[in-house]
Amino acid sequence: MTALRENEIRAVLDCFAGGWLTLGPRTQKLEEALAGRLGVEHAAAVSSGTAALHLAFLALRTGPGDEVVVPAAGGEDAAAAVRRTGAVVVTAAVDAGDPVLTRDDAEAALTPATKAVVVVHPHGFPAPAAAGLRALCDERGIALVEDATRALGADGIGRAGHLTCLSFARDRQLPVGEAGMVAGTDAELVGRARLLRSHAMTASTWDRHRGHSYSYDIVDVGFNYRIDEPRSALALALLERLDELVAARRDAARALHAELAAAGRGPLWGPDRIAAAAPLALPLADGSAAPVKL
Amino acid sequence: MPATGTSPSVPLFDLRVEPEDLAAVERVLRSGRLEAGEEAEAFEREFAERLGVRHAVLVSSCTAALQLAYLTAGVGPGDEVIVPSYTFAATAASVYACGGRPVFADVAGPHDLGLDPADVEARITPRTKAVCAVHFGGYPAAVDELRTLCDAHGLAFLEDSAHAPLTPPHGLSAAYSFFSNKVLSAGEGGLLATGDDAVAAAAREHRERLGHRLDDVRAAWVRSRLRRIDADVAARRALTHRYRELLADVEGVSVPYTDAAVDTSACYVMPVLVDDPARQVPVREALRDRHGVQTSLLYPPVHRFTAYVERLGELSLPRTEDAAARELTVPLFPHMSHADQDRVVAALRTELAA
Repeated sequence: MTALRENEIRAVLDCFAGGWLTLGPRTQKLEEALAGRLGVEHAAAVSSGTAALHLAFLALRTGPGDEVVVPAAGGEDAAAAVRRTGAVVVTAAVDAGDPVLTRDDAEAALTPATKAVVVVHPHGFPAPAAAGLRALCDERGIALVEDATRALGADGIGRAGHLTCLSFARDRQLPVGEAGMVAGTDAELVGRARLLRSHAMTASTWDRHRGHSYSYDIVDVGFNYRIDEPRSALALALLERLDELVAARRDAARALHAELAAAGRGPLWGPDRIAAAAPLALPLADGSAAPVKL
Repeated sequence: MPATGTSPSVPLFDLRVEPEDLAAVERVLRSGRLEAGEEAEAFEREFAERLGVRHAVLVSSCTAALQLAYLTAGVGPGDEVIVPSYTFAATAASVYACGGRPVFADVAGPHDLGLDPADVEARITPRTKAVCAVHFGGYPAAVDELRTLCDAHGLAFLEDSAHAPLTPPHGLSAAYSFFSNKVLSAGEGGLLATGDDAVAAAAREHRERLGHRLDDVRAAWVRSRLRRIDADVAARRALTHRYRELLADVEGVSVPYTDAAVDTSACYVMPVLVDDPARQVPVREALRDRHGVQTSLLYPPVHRFTAYVERLGELSLPRTEDAAARELTVPLFPHMSHADQDRVVAALRTELAA
């Protein structure tokens, strides 16, 4: 549990006191700040990490007849989102000793029906093959989705995926409560996620059709996956100390690693991998993971 | 004084924040436990008690609650749900979210913007699984007739009670909204209420699976505001009665529902219908530009949106289209002053006489 600081509490209370609680300037700032942090241009803040994953596959228009490659380890959330769109999950086997998706793992699972590949950054550890997977996807004309719902603050995440999903759930690096984000390198796909976040409502088409200046059209079946301003205010305030929180996680992970190694329970990934991670847990050889506590 | 569209002198809605609301949020923030927990559970208990219903399942939005209502009524691929078109699109969109298909029925007429039970009955097919009524503006729909109709055909009766936070479910379940501008506001939030143990248990499972939880920060806020809901609704009703008196002799406009119905309504909004649809947009613009009065249009009919025309073709719902072409929603919120109300009525009188 991360105790909030005075400036963080104040940011949320000021937002509530102002009375504007729905999508507004704080959300826009949060989107800009996180896109900048990931090194991408586009981001849409949403109501949860689950919503972020659902929107990613809706944006990609995966559906019946499509396949999406999901790694065997850590891919459960992405797989559930894929199934919600009616597409089929194809599980890619991963190395038990290093359970992150590689280019070879993904390539072995591709078929002519593959529409996307998901690379998961498990337990806050960046998947080293993300850039190679993007190259593979570009060669095949399919999309790469980064499931970074457990990896905000890890080095290099978000740069490879057409779409990248983040979560700000209570036990993650940016503990807002319930919230998430879809970001990415592809303006059109992030734009579509943004549209579906709020009921696929648009003013322009309807305006032209009706000659009205302030009504709207609905151009698809959307959802209410909006974040609200108080949560955006908290996320923005917490973001200022994300580096500090990640550094503390790395310190705690190194200590935990030493402890587990001494007890002969050797975590799979050591200090070299921890140095690039925003670790939530250390995966162990038996398939379980030891939580990193702050 | 000329006013701009961005900062109207009389806003459509204004959220008044009380110190106890902020204190409730602050307590949760200082506890460090922001996720759904004690506050969410306490709100569920208190809201259920207020409605007099067994179960309340707090979720992230009314759209999420509608999805749970349809899922727990067994709506799936191939199933139809009869809904009004004179509503926010979520009533229909959430049917698609479950794999089903919305079937639109017409409203009763300009005097009652709720579903017409006779038109609902005419649209029942072997594929119909449920009927979802909307309590437009907080005014109860024809629940007794609709419930009887559903019972006779073996259909689930559901309610989109987004506008009616004090109206308990009359059928299997009802979905409530705590969106920012609603009678009971959480910013973003919703709830499914039901008297059915199995529906409640299934709704809670779907909530976890679909990521539809509502955190304790918002729960504490909306819980604090729930304590004032009776006073808020009483103020809304008094203002609505006053609007009706003031508007009675204004030419060119009518007000739906009856004086008696006001006292059964949460009075979420104040709809008026201009006689001449050609005046709807000009009057709205004049209210904004010349009088600083913000208005809204509830609702553009869902069946006319591009996404629905693409899926269902061109449909005709004459009474819905007539109401939508003539409706103007004028400002209403519990702490609205009589002076502001007089200003809205004077503006309408001036512009409709022009």
